[in-house]
Amino acid sequence: MNAPALSPATPAKTAPAARVGIGGPVGSGKTALVERLIAAFAARKVDLAVITNDLVTHEDAERVRRSGLIDPARVSAVEAGACPHTVIREDPTLNIEAADDLERRFPGVELILIESGGDNLASTFSRDLTDFWIFVIDVAGGDDIPRKRGPGVLKCDLLVINKADLAPHVGVDLDGMIAEARRVRAGRPVIVTNCRRSEGIDAVADHLEREVLFRT
Amino acid sequence: MPIEALLLALQHGDSAFPSGGFAFSWGLEELVNDGWISGEADISAFLADLLANRWHGFDRVALARAHEAPDLDALAGIDRAVEIATWAAPMRAGSRRAGRALLGVHARLSGGPVADYRALVDVDGELGHLPVVQGLVWRTAGLDRNSSELLSAWTMAQGIAAAGLRLGLIGHLSAQTVLTAARATIARLAAVSPPADLTAFTPVADVALSRHARRDARLFAT
Ligand SMILES: Nc1nc2c(ncn2[C@@H]2O[C@H](COP(=O)(O)OP(=O)(O)O)[C@@H](O)[C@H]2O)c(=O)[nH]1
Ligand SMILES: [Mg+2]
Repeated sequence: MNAPALSPATPAKTAPAARVGIGGPVGSGKTALVERLIAAFAARKVDLAVITNDLVTHEDAERVRRSGLIDPARVSAVEAGACPHTVIREDPTLNIEAADDLERRFPGVELILIESGGDNLASTFSRDLTDFWIFVIDVAGGDDIPRKRGPGVLKCDLLVINKADLAPHVGVDLDGMIAEARRVRAGRPVIVTNCRRSEGIDAVADHLEREVLFRT
Repeated sequence: MPIEALLLALQHGDSAFPSGGFAFSWGLEELVNDGWISGEADISAFLADLLANRWHGFDRVALARAHEAPDLDALAGIDRAVEIATWAAPMRAGSRRAGRALLGVHARLSGGPVADYRALVDVDGELGHLPVVQGLVWRTAGLDRNSSELLSAWTMAQGIAAAGLRLGLIGHLSAQTVLTAARATIARLAAVSPPADLTAFTPVADVALSRHARRDARLFAT
């Protein structure tokens, strides 16, 4: 094809936003973590947007929009065609389009959180979709989860063990679970959270500011 | 067919080629939800209808024109004609969304005029329709017009069969039976000249797609 006949008016290019994936089994607390991070990053004056990959409904997107903590227009929902796995790894095209669209609509956006619809321990994010990805497991899923060495647990940039508050109720040895997680991850980062009481959230936000936003 | 050309077609026609296409059912999900489609024969009939009454007279025509467009101005003109000729708003939106996804992948992979067109589409809400983008990106990738037309029919068939499988309607073997039948339909249509003007008539799929767009609980984008 010949040289373009039109040179579209592209707005002044700002630095692209950092894209952070949040994966993990259904119910581990991914949306809860997103909600908490929205508040934490608002306090830190980080310009934020969110993408959710709800499996069937737009429930997570609506939940985040209704939180009152973020402009609802900054929350996009992407359908996964019954393939929550594919849409973050083999073919994340629609998520990339949604992120590009958010960057176009909100030129100053610095950070885009992409919540996976949730899958099993084998789910991982394409490196072409995210700059960094978090995997969220929870205490109630059992303390043998790290030992199962799922690719999600092993390969993520940050492992979050959520629902720390439930440990005594489900008979889980939390310290043992953390040690096991650190061991299988060969010392790579693990952070424990309680999204219900907003514990550990600052540690996650600090980590992202340092490793992804390069602020400190 | 030369080996290089065959390999090129295999790469671009592969369902593993990232384009977001797996998230589109083009009305199938809604027809299944409403009980209109319930098995292999129904899916085959739905697909045959799409191939004959959308692909052959519309997608194929738009793609061929796009494949031959001398510059991006002409391409945008064809894109706008597709926008105007697609009467259902959700169909237009779906076609643009699928087209833009494919365009985004190729813009990142190959840059050049594809990236220039992507920049144009970014600032114009009427552009980026799937068959137009297919014509552009496949020509740029080196596929001839004929192969490009067949790829567009094949990705449509493959997408519907895969959606039927994921909707729990057919099994993995049955999906191949659907595709084998589709192959015969595509071959028969390909042997006939398409109409001169953009011509589509798929009211059942269009209405289903429009209803689908208003549904809150859904797996697919269309
Ligand atoms: N007790 C407790 N419950 C939590 C915590 N985080 C999330 N939940 C609850 O776990 C359930 C699933 O959380 P959600 O964020 O929807 O999980 P997702 O499917 O991974 O997005 C909800 O009922 C949350 O209220 C936590 O730290 N402690
Ligand atoms: Mg969720």
